[in-house]
Amino acid sequence: MYVELKDVNKEFKGFRALNDVSFSIEKGKLVGLLGPSGSGKTTILRTLAGLVHPDSGDIWIDGKRVNDVPASKRGIGFVFQNYALFRYMTVFDNVAFGLTVEKKDKKFIKQRVNELINLVGLEGLQDRYPHQLSGGQRQRVAFARALAPNPHLLLLDEPFAAIDAKIRKELRLWLRETINSLGITSIFVTHDQDEAVEVADEIVIVNGGRIEQKGNPADIYKSPATPFAARFIGESLVLDRHETLHGFETYSGYDQAVIRPELIQITKHGKQPILHASEDGIVEDVFFRGSLIEVHVNVKGMRLIGHRSPEEEPLLPGEKVSVLIYRLYLYNEDKVHLAENVRLKDENTVFI
Amino acid sequence: MNLANPAEASNRIQEKPRGSGKAAKSILIGLGVAFILIMLVLPLITVCVYALKQGWEVFSGAITDPYAIKALQLTLLATVVAVVCNTIFGLFASWAISKFHFRGKQFLTTLIDIPFAISPIIAGLVFILVFGRIGWAYDFLQAYDLKVVFAVPGIILATIFVTFPFVARELIPLMQAQGNDEEEAAALMGANWWTIYRKVTLPHIKWGLLYGVILCTARALGEFGAVSVVSGHLRGKTNTLPLHIEILFNEFQLTAAFAVSSILVVTAIIILILRNIVEFKGRKEESEHVR
Repeated sequence: MYVELKDVNKEFKGFRALNDVSFSIEKGKLVGLLGPSGSGKTTILRTLAGLVHPDSGDIWIDGKRVNDVPASKRGIGFVFQNYALFRYMTVFDNVAFGLTVEKKDKKFIKQRVNELINLVGLEGLQDRYPHQLSGGQRQRVAFARALAPNPHLLLLDEPFAAIDAKIRKELRLWLRETINSLGITSIFVTHDQDEAVEVADEIVIVNGGRIEQKGNPADIYKSPATPFAARFIGESLVLDRHETLHGFETYSGYDQAVIRPELIQITKHGKQPILHASEDGIVEDVFFRGSLIEVHVNVKGMRLIGHRSPEEEPLLPGEKVSVLIYRLYLYNEDKVHLAENVRLKDENTVFI
Repeated sequence: MNLANPAEASNRIQEKPRGSGKAAKSILIGLGVAFILIMLVLPLITVCVYALKQGWEVFSGAITDPYAIKALQLTLLATVVAVVCNTIFGLFASWAISKFHFRGKQFLTTLIDIPFAISPIIAGLVFILVFGRIGWAYDFLQAYDLKVVFAVPGIILATIFVTFPFVARELIPLMQAQGNDEEEAAALMGANWWTIYRKVTLPHIKWGLLYGVILCTARALGEFGAVSVVSGHLRGKTNTLPLHIEILFNEFQLTAAFAVSSILVVTAIIILILRNIVEFKGRKEESEHVR
């Protein structure tokens, strides 16, 4: 393993920021630390960088225990949340800073900086100051600056938080492609699951200073390991009376259930072929979301959210509909169980 | 409110003081101007007029008087030393307070403000109590033949004390607003503290620093109370310019007193202009870089 944390703990004035954090990362992977704000994900990143010193536990980078290695000697590139560009230096000087500090040859610095400026697509902007750049351009400078001294580990703290939504998507793809082409092991922190799913090879879900789950995005999506992961990933909705739903009567002993829009099919009343497995519901609200239509349905006093295609016959609030639930994630305190609709199974229907 | 059109918005704001508002506006402006004229401009003009009342000869005689020149030299010496000391102190104090966490930080910040809160005369008395004939450091100073009170060192100490907070006070909020991100980024790339300070911190605070230095200079030049207590008023030895003016005034040499005063008035005006330039430049730069 290239980067490894073992039982790392950190307390800030009585607040347990990291609680026995252990995980490891393979060389060359792009990993997303995903969690709500205050979950400890940034602390993990800063601990790796050496900006925070753990109370206990070991940090290994490239086969070396780095607990006592100062931040500047760990060979890490760090992209700060607000980029922390040196505002009184030009783009060139910003990118060159790390190399100047290492007292590298002037000619080499010039060549390396120009190479990086080309890599991030900021040709011609060398002499600008950070305040003369857009958010996206600043991020690119921060990225180039972190890469200049040739780090073997790149850490990015909420790299997209300060960028407007439109450019964000574009930058995500760009960052992913650039990091992959460089092959540098990278860890980024985000609270946005779309971002994590889209950019990362692997996701580590962090909550309350603990690691909840680590895996590739598809696995985490399909089989959440903890109740928190089930609730946090996807457009999850928590139900507390799942045993009353058709097809789920036999699942007992669980506290609550999580359901996502893609696990529900909503059809006009009378057009559902597998009637015995579905529920009757009343449409509460219909929202047009561009590429899809979000439908809120009341089923036995519980509100479910499903998606429909704009191509389908439109539904109106107050209309009676059939709701077919394929699957639910059932959980109690610490266990998650994927529950299939039993009535669907009995019939052996090839519907999904 | 829809502020899509900024021109329209500003029109609306300007339209408000119509009618009765307009009268209130003129009254307020009139009051302000009158107040400034009576309290500030009139006295300054009086000083200059009075200084030249008995003609240029008397004026130049008063300001080229050997005692006046001695006093000016002493004032400048005290000012330079005080400004240098307080600038160095201010740089270190603001750095420590804004970039590090330590016990007693709040207390230290409060301590720095003491000279603002205490009357200068008390500051002078404190030095007499410490270094004077009845002071606890007297025997020690006597043993090494050092003289503090009623001598130049006392005047310098008193000036330093009184102007102590200016630079630090100016820098602390600036540096706190800047945060630690840039420094952290630089440190992470292996820069040592001196490089960080020179390349990252200093460019950010340079106008604030200059502003603090100017305020400090202005205060040091004009200091009267604390210096008066420790000086002993020895003409040509421990007399600063403000003290010299007081002596002239007490001797009813009004024209000479005002002539010497005019030196301080002119320096004050120059400092005021410098201050405005620095403030303007600093604000402009800040509005550019801090976004």
